[in-house]
Amino acid sequence: MQSSKQTQKVDSASEGFREAALFTITAIIAGFAVEWLTAGSGITIPRWPVNFLFLAVLAVSVAIVGLTLRKHPLVAWLGGIPVGLSLIVGLALLSFIGGVLPQDPAHPGTLVATLRLNGMFSSWPFAFVTLLFLFNLGLSFLWKVVPFRVANLQFMLFHGGFWIALSCGLLGSSDLQRLIIPLNEGQESSIAYEMPSERPIQLPYSIYLKDFQIDEYVPQFALYDPATDQVLEEKSKMVPEVRKGARAVWPGVATATVLEFMPDALPDKDGNPVPSKAHKGVPFARVRAEADGQPPVERWISGGGPEIKPQFLPVGSYFIVIAPGAPKAFRSHVMISGTDSERRVAVLEVNKPVDFRGWKLYQMGYDEKAGRWSTMSLVEAVNDPWLPAVYLGFFMIMAGNLLYFWKGVKKMEAA
Amino acid sequence: MTLVEFPAIAKAAIACWGAGSLLQIPARKSKPASLVSWLLMIGGTSLLVWFLVAYWITLERPPLRTLGETRLWYATLIPVVGFLVEYRWKIGWLKYYCMGLAAFFLGINIASPDVFQKALMPALQSPWFIPHVVVYLVAYVLLAASSVAGWHNVWLKFRDKSSAVSESMSHYLALLGFVLLTFGLVFGALWAKEAWGHYWTWDPKETWAFISWLAYLGYLHLVARKTKGTVLQWYLGLAFLVLLVCWFGVNYLPSAQNSVHTYSGAS
Ligand code: HEM
Repeated sequence: MQSSKQTQKVDSASEGFREAALFTITAIIAGFAVEWLTAGSGITIPRWPVNFLFLAVLAVSVAIVGLTLRKHPLVAWLGGIPVGLSLIVGLALLSFIGGVLPQDPAHPGTLVATLRLNGMFSSWPFAFVTLLFLFNLGLSFLWKVVPFRVANLQFMLFHGGFWIALSCGLLGSSDLQRLIIPLNEGQESSIAYEMPSERPIQLPYSIYLKDFQIDEYVPQFALYDPATDQVLEEKSKMVPEVRKGARAVWPGVATATVLEFMPDALPDKDGNPVPSKAHKGVPFARVRAEADGQPPVERWISGGGPEIKPQFLPVGSYFIVIAPGAPKAFRSHVMISGTDSERRVAVLEVNKPVDFRGWKLYQMGYDEKAGRWSTMSLVEAVNDPWLPAVYLGFFMIMAGNLLYFWKGVKKMEAA
Repeated sequence: MTLVEFPAIAKAAIACWGAGSLLQIPARKSKPASLVSWLLMIGGTSLLVWFLVAYWITLERPPLRTLGETRLWYATLIPVVGFLVEYRWKIGWLKYYCMGLAAFFLGINIASPDVFQKALMPALQSPWFIPHVVVYLVAYVLLAASSVAGWHNVWLKFRDKSSAVSESMSHYLALLGFVLLTFGLVFGALWAKEAWGHYWTWDPKETWAFISWLAYLGYLHLVARKTKGTVLQWYLGLAFLVLLVCWFGVNYLPSAQNSVHTYSGAS
């Protein structure tokens, strides 16, 4: 009894799987064959409106095939789980290649370049598998929508959402524009650059950079060993922060105490620090240090800047140095002007992009050599007309997910 | 609370779990022994919760930045799953694996301590940071538990002692884990749009998150096809290996050189 039940299960589970696996392998081999014949040139997704037409044709053909030939065994198989599973495995394998090998330009003529293993996600095998995937997913979705039953809502949201996000994300990638706008304080610019070609592009708006600012974390001080070019570990394993009263102990070597601290100062004629006004100074600290068995020494030390030499405090054969804090935040105060008279004052900061007429403007970088004194700011401008469709897909996935969670938990309670 | 105190607290937690586990033997016959055993095991976990909170306060940022910090969360949460499973399904063995796994993670952290760093790079300062990482963390915790349960079920099968309750437990752990994995993935994409300008760039970390998601998606479709229980238990046992690559193996892959997600300093 037990064993007959089991063989039955095995049969229903493996039914159609061999054909499905063969089908997926064929698609992958065909894709690699195209790459090989075209020396790994990959697929170029057409831009609006051709990509949209392609999507429409795909959706309509899924609908027609799904609705008229639903009973046909071949079509039923094409929209069934064995094909879906094989394609999931196929997609995972291709992603595996793309996740292990660097996706950077490779020497032409090498096997990696000829099969486009270095550009997996714009390759023909990936495109073929994804296309079949959309067909399979589309059919399974359709068959849960027609006839409509509320009980299938979770399935519709999850599968439909994934269909929309995947198709619109991939097909819309050709309409995505990511441009870099270099800005200098006190100047206005409407020229952006496409990367990596560095092709200049005229924007339909211009940006004026009023001010660029960097906030840093509190600077830290460390005991530096010039003999080994390394920093000694403090007792607490922490790099001590420069704060008035902060005390650091390097067991068996030295101790140091911060007597005074000025986060932003410039040296006067005698080298004594004076607080600076325009955020242009460097951190200064008056430190008393004691090497083991020697009298304490005391003096001002400072971090360095473009016009200021750093100052150290020698302790035995070591030096106490100030290391600048890591950047905490950087932001650009800008004014954006459209071609008409519309103007907007905005602050661009990492994680806080600003929307302007369909474009999102991001704080991207600055002159890292100048660090805190940078007067240059890099802004990225992104235009992604397909974003609302992709986000619709994301939100459907999340809604389906919530229902799934709900049903799962309810079932568990029943168990 | 800093990492200086960490080894003592971690060892104390492991000792509590170990003593509590040993006391489970007399606990079968004695109520007081059972009580003390549970107090010890929960006490071990509470120690870690206390350390996490205090460490968070000292750091002035959530301790979720480095791999060492996330291991600390796993070590704290995985035994909780074991305790809850016992409470919910009266399945006792899972908690020992969970505490063992947690002790292993604590051991790694004792052997190779993190650097104590307060700085949080600007891209990580986002309202998405905590939901994204926490959802992923809990997903990994549940899937780790489902993998352990999967291996245990394979072992039971091997000795002809399969248990339907135990198999449905590994299934629900995987199901809940998958739901959270999906949320983590979508939250990550939404965050990436705000921080880096695009929601998906096939960065190695993203690619591996996608592969892990596909692995569990494959599991759910095998279940929908009424695949044999043993196959599913093997699958769950092995699927976690993919998650492990995604979690900390990515940093060592050739593709990771240009990843924006291999935060420098994470070890
Ligand atoms: C991502 C690509 C996906 C593909 C290609 C796909 C494909 C399929 C196919 C072809 C079926 C069979 C439909 C049927 O026989 O009625 C199916 C069923 C199912 N799928 Fe998916 N699916 C995908 C994603 C998902 C996701 C993300 C979930 C997560 C919850 C999911 C959950 C299910 C479930 C529970 C069933 C069984 C439904 C039932 O039999 O009532 N699928 N899927």
